[in-house]
Amino acid sequence: MFHYIVMRVMKGGLTFLAAVTVTFLIVRLMPGDPTTAFISDSMTPQDVLALNTLLGLDKSLIEQYVLFLRNLAHFELGQSFFYKEAVSAIIAPRLGWTLLLIGTSLFITLIIGIPLGVYTARHKGKWVDQAVSTMIVLGISVFIPLLAFVLVYVFSLQFGLTPVGGAFTPGIDDAERIRDVIRHMILPTATLVVVNLAQIVLYTRSSMLDVLKEDYVRTARAKGVSDRSVTWGHALRNAMIPTVTVTGLMLGKMVAGAVLTETVFSWPGVGSMIYEAVQKQDFPLLQGAFIVLAFSVILMTLMTDLVVAWLDPRIKLHGGSMR
Amino acid sequence: MIEKSFVESFSKHPLGMIGLVGIVIIVTLGLFGPMVVTYPVGYNEAIPLASPTLKNWLGTDGLGLSLIDEIVWGARTSLFISLTAVAVATCIGVPLGLVSGYFRGRIGALIDSVIEIAMTIPTLPLMILISAISGPSVGTVAVVIGIFSWPTLARIVRNSTLKLASLPYIEAAVVLGIPKRTIMFKHILLNAVGPALVDLTIIMATAVLTEAGLSYLGLGDPNAWSWGGILQTAFRAGHHFHAWWLIVFPSLAIMFFVVSFNLLGLGINETLNPKRD
Repeated sequence: MFHYIVMRVMKGGLTFLAAVTVTFLIVRLMPGDPTTAFISDSMTPQDVLALNTLLGLDKSLIEQYVLFLRNLAHFELGQSFFYKEAVSAIIAPRLGWTLLLIGTSLFITLIIGIPLGVYTARHKGKWVDQAVSTMIVLGISVFIPLLAFVLVYVFSLQFGLTPVGGAFTPGIDDAERIRDVIRHMILPTATLVVVNLAQIVLYTRSSMLDVLKEDYVRTARAKGVSDRSVTWGHALRNAMIPTVTVTGLMLGKMVAGAVLTETVFSWPGVGSMIYEAVQKQDFPLLQGAFIVLAFSVILMTLMTDLVVAWLDPRIKLHGGSMR
Repeated sequence: MIEKSFVESFSKHPLGMIGLVGIVIIVTLGLFGPMVVTYPVGYNEAIPLASPTLKNWLGTDGLGLSLIDEIVWGARTSLFISLTAVAVATCIGVPLGLVSGYFRGRIGALIDSVIEIAMTIPTLPLMILISAISGPSVGTVAVVIGIFSWPTLARIVRNSTLKLASLPYIEAAVVLGIPKRTIMFKHILLNAVGPALVDLTIIMATAVLTEAGLSYLGLGDPNAWSWGGILQTAFRAGHHFHAWWLIVFPSLAIMFFVVSFNLLGLGINETLNPKRD
């Protein structure tokens, strides 16, 4: 197990290194001068000189790369054009809001999706199959801004049940504040749950169908274990393995969904900041947002893989050499 | 022999056929529509934000241009972007998948880890960064979407190759001294086409969703009509609360495209792997 964890952490580190290297190369090797991407018209010559030294644009590409990595290790992501502040200081408070949104929607997606997947697996029949297939096609076809707009139109504008956007009402604090934030979270969370639910149902259902055919399930049934206990106790634990794996792979897509959802709902996270940075052509902020989001996703994928290892005794015992 | 039975059983799959009909409509619209409909350009002060009527089916936008014209030209943009993305993804994903599945040793493991890394990284923020730096253009967006669509395709081709490479007919081909390249790109690839085709339909659908998302974020090409671009213009000008048609029709066009290709994928998949009860 220890060996597996070490290997998995190293793989995570390698993935992050690949992500930042790609960013480094994109910004430096895109057609045109990298300074156009990092220097705005409003900068004084002193600013430009300071930035050139910081980025090491007078040095060779390899020296620049080493400098880039060293800055990254100190959480130095450069200076925003528009806010004239360190990128890391702008992103840090927003990251919490994004992780709150993604975490909550992931939790709710799993809470609804896994039982639904188990249910459809146990009641496998003609119309259930068709209904699930259709639901999955519709789920992966949703255009997030449209769904979000429809939700706002119905629940906020027609019935006045939920706020139109933002994450909190200014001036409300303490005990009321939590309830206020939850009210603001309902629609963005619902959007992300709808988009991601189909995948979880699909994977739980198909792995449940595989597991229910296994010998040990038949043995448990033969021993007289109740149907409920076989399904939820014996089978589900093993059926969870592909579901958790696919959850890890979904995280990258969830971030993409969060960028669009946050933009529609003016949720004060990294996603809506990306939208603002695009409007203001703030390249350092965009680069920083990508690096921070990539890091978060890689970390969360690592955690789901460790959960899989914990669920799957084959990885625990063989150090992951089974795959 | 295989083709005939495939066409026969696919035609009995109702959802797959609905998808196919939808795609025929989109392709007709995108190929021949622009020959009938003039390119919407400039502005028409007489009728801005006119609601849909019998004469002007889908109404007009804030510049008085006819929405139906914009949607027809948008179909062409969507087709161009998704086909380019599919071509780029195929050129990268298929050879990598074949090589990593056929040469199982170190090369295979190396390519497999590259695939895994590429699948983990959140691609939308990266695409946003690239599009923002390179400037908005339909061509760039199409290529960028393609570059980030290959990992799933490569993985699917790799898995089929792993399965096929151990079959007797491949062993026979090796014994006959057929060059490895011919074995990979002819004997294996032809039999791995099915699952790859399903993924290509998904890439087509996802490419249009991604383009719409990028346009919505303000990274669309201002010189080309695209469905996401129409939405972005409407939202930005604040037309979305009183001119519903500017939101509903482009969104329906996007959904129609995406659902059609996903249904085609579903149809192909279920025809290739019929469920046994």
